[in-house]
Amino acid sequence: MGKRDAVVVLSSDDGGDEGEGEGEGALSSSRSRSKPAAKPHLARSEPRRAKKPRVSGSRSRSSSSRQSSIVDEFQFLEEDFNEVFTGAKVTTGFGRSTAKESWVDKYKPCTFEELAVHKKKVEEVKSWFEERLIISKDNLGDHVLVITGPAGVGKSATIYVVASHLGATLCEWNTPTPTVWKEYVHNSNTGQYVSKLDEFEAFVERTRKYGLISQSSAGESKSSAILLIDDLPMTHGNVARRRLQNCLQLLVQSTHIPTAILITDYGQVDSADREARFLEELHLSLESAGARKIAFNPITSNAIKRILSKICRQEKRNVASEQIDLIAKASGGDIRHAITSLQFFCLKVDWPSFSSSSPTTVYDLHFGRDETISLFHALGKFLHNKRESVSPSGKDPHPMQEKFMRLPFKMDAPEKVLSQAHGQARPIADFLHENVLDFLDEEAVDDASAVLSYLGDADVLLHSFHGAVARNYEAEGVVQSAAASIAVRGVLFGNSHPLPPRWHSIRKPKLWQSEKFSLHNKDEMLRQRFMVYNGVSSIDTSVIATEYMPACKWLQHRLQAHEVMMLSTEIEAGISLDDREVKTSDDEIEEW
Amino acid sequence: MLWVDKYRPKALDQVIVHEDVAQNLKKLVSEQDCPHLLFYGPSGSGKKTLIMALLRQMFGSSSEKVKVENKTWKINAGTRNIDIELTTLSSTHHVEMNPSDAGFQDRYVVQEIIKEMAKNRPIDTKGKKGFKVLVLNEVDKLSREAQHSLRRTMEKYSASCRLILCCNSSSKVTEAIRSRCLNIRINAPREDQIVKVLEFIAKKENLQLPAGFAVRVAEKSNRSLRRAILSFETCRVQQYPFTINQAISPMDWEEYVSEIVSDIMKEQSPKRLFQVRGKLYELLINCIPPEILLKRLLHDLLRKLDAELKHEVCHWAAYYEHRMRLGQKAIFHLEAFIAKFMSIYKAFLIATFG
Repeated sequence: MGKRDAVVVLSSDDGGDEGEGEGEGALSSSRSRSKPAAKPHLARSEPRRAKKPRVSGSRSRSSSSRQSSIVDEFQFLEEDFNEVFTGAKVTTGFGRSTAKESWVDKYKPCTFEELAVHKKKVEEVKSWFEERLIISKDNLGDHVLVITGPAGVGKSATIYVVASHLGATLCEWNTPTPTVWKEYVHNSNTGQYVSKLDEFEAFVERTRKYGLISQSSAGESKSSAILLIDDLPMTHGNVARRRLQNCLQLLVQSTHIPTAILITDYGQVDSADREARFLEELHLSLESAGARKIAFNPITSNAIKRILSKICRQEKRNVASEQIDLIAKASGGDIRHAITSLQFFCLKVDWPSFSSSSPTTVYDLHFGRDETISLFHALGKFLHNKRESVSPSGKDPHPMQEKFMRLPFKMDAPEKVLSQAHGQARPIADFLHENVLDFLDEEAVDDASAVLSYLGDADVLLHSFHGAVARNYEAEGVVQSAAASIAVRGVLFGNSHPLPPRWHSIRKPKLWQSEKFSLHNKDEMLRQRFMVYNGVSSIDTSVIATEYMPACKWLQHRLQAHEVMMLSTEIEAGISLDDREVKTSDDEIEEW
Repeated sequence: MLWVDKYRPKALDQVIVHEDVAQNLKKLVSEQDCPHLLFYGPSGSGKKTLIMALLRQMFGSSSEKVKVENKTWKINAGTRNIDIELTTLSSTHHVEMNPSDAGFQDRYVVQEIIKEMAKNRPIDTKGKKGFKVLVLNEVDKLSREAQHSLRRTMEKYSASCRLILCCNSSSKVTEAIRSRCLNIRINAPREDQIVKVLEFIAKKENLQLPAGFAVRVAEKSNRSLRRAILSFETCRVQQYPFTINQAISPMDWEEYVSEIVSDIMKEQSPKRLFQVRGKLYELLINCIPPEILLKRLLHDLLRKLDAELKHEVCHWAAYYEHRMRLGQKAIFHLEAFIAKFMSIYKAFLIATFG
């Protein structure tokens, strides 16, 4: 695939928010007019082709005529869109020019004051780059900064602002826009497919070896350039992940340009999700390779409120402070989301010709993020099992036996809590199983038995679809949520003598590690099972585990080579067991 | 080499324990019409030994020249292709494998791999044994679907292929398969038979074996010949010359289980349960199958229990064993059983002693 240079896109008008500019390539022509002036001066190697929504980065240069027609088409579409979009706006007496843009772009921070990010973090980033750019270039070993944080906390915006402050050129890698395969084939005349990961690898390889050539050819001073890697290529499967990891590690070890890598974490580190675990692993490996890591936290609702009310002032909107409060809270620290909500909200209020005072009475936002809670928070709720102290008065339509009576919950329905925590049945069951015994009364063995039995029921349900012939996903979904519900409600019901609240840590299930080790040991045994029976026949692993291994331990001095091997795995298992113990104690995560 | 392997009879004539079965098998093969065979019986009774000896009887010593192969099979299952990795042991005349290694994909193994193997009829110049033998281990662990497709395979390729199936419990093999095979039950050897074997080994090794000692080893072995020989060899390492009252150490995991049991009997509380869980994990990590673990646990518990509780405890053990097979994570059910036991036992203690 030619056209690798499309990959080093140096963009001037890309938003401070990653991923957001992706779909709007065609807008750029109309947008650049109203750009804020204080921009980092940027070189462009290409007119942002890689970002066009329907045109992949591999498009050949020769087809520029066709391309421009597509751009035209897009502009038409955009006009249409704006007409629809601004239909309401016109009535409010605002010009089209302001409506052209989403506020997220319009109020992109340009100075440090405008950043909503915590000052300390900004300072940290700034001083890091200052050290690299101004003071000395090659004395410092590390040239890579890893910034992590949830979406919309201003990771990219901070980099942009810092770069403009330092007067540095910002070169950027953006993941090329994905295309539908058929479109891709249609657009590309020749060549075979190059995966995004390949492109990224090639890019990193080039930057490591030659620096940023395209930028120096644009006549910029070489002294101050920052490389920004926004959004790593999507990887799937272990092989691809290892490649990405190696490639990034190489970059960390050998690059001489100050580089910022932005990693969006999705806040699910505590789950069993493999993607999240991989990201965590990636941080660690980058850090061990010598990269500096700065973690951004969600933006505080006060900071969001400040920004929002400033926007309101500038837009001359009259939005009640309660509303801003509500939007800020609903955003969950995602400033981009908060601004978009605000814009939408302003639209909505003005749509019917109400007086602007009316929204103060409306506290219910019909949009915004769903409230989420972390998995640990949810687990804490289930395990602590807080109940009201008195049962509700009034006649119960379904009288129950004394022993089945429980006081009402001090929380929402367990299923609701589960859905807020995005709880998957399997990890929920594992976590509950690991931790529930700590939360039971010292004397209540009956409770323990009931709880564990319910967890067993959940396990049976979870297994029931495993390897079924025709996978019926819908049915599986039902089974999954039923299992989660049984696990949670079983724990809540079974724990009939809840302990008074006290501090408790929630552990990660030991089960996962123990399963890993037992699988490993099993593999070892499978390899050895042909060695008994004089190598003429094979043997059951359970027989090896229960009969051969213990005997071999006694007979070790008489063993021949292959049996010594068997023994060594036994010893190894013992060691790893100790390791495991150490690890889990490190892994203990505090609940609150 | 361990004594278990060293003194394994190689030919049907050398068999000590199941002599009658061996002679029958010999007759069966000499008439050159070998049906499909299903060997079943408890572990350590000599099924595998008989199968190997039978193969030798059929094909001569060439059946002992085996090679281990780890092959990846590509299987086209309608819409997608599946790769299954499976280790096989094969000689020119037979192939041996454990289809249950493929997990829930076992039915593909049975459908495709066996089919493919059975199709390739060995070319024999004498036109004598125009079939290959396929030895399948752990048939009782096959899923129901896999057993069904096994049945079809048996019918279709019976001209070119003989199956020898081997399993512990014939009750987990479908009726259809059982009726298509000659079922051969291999009983667990009686204790006097085990003693005979031990004496035979002692003679070969030039050991002085006091009569009472062999009997004790046989008693401890739970009527498993393999166990008896292994622990006999262990004792030889620990102390020789033998004395009649020499200690016969149990397997280390069994000791661990009895430790767990005494823990359970001492205290019944969630805290204790948590400690027990840690020990269970350790056993599971060392690949002790959870079913065997539960069985052993029950065995040890019953020995310490009052008669009136035994029935109830057995009931719950069976209940949780069943759940364990239905479920995925054995630890959930093992622990549930222990918790149940604790709850029953505690109630009993309170009722009895106040």
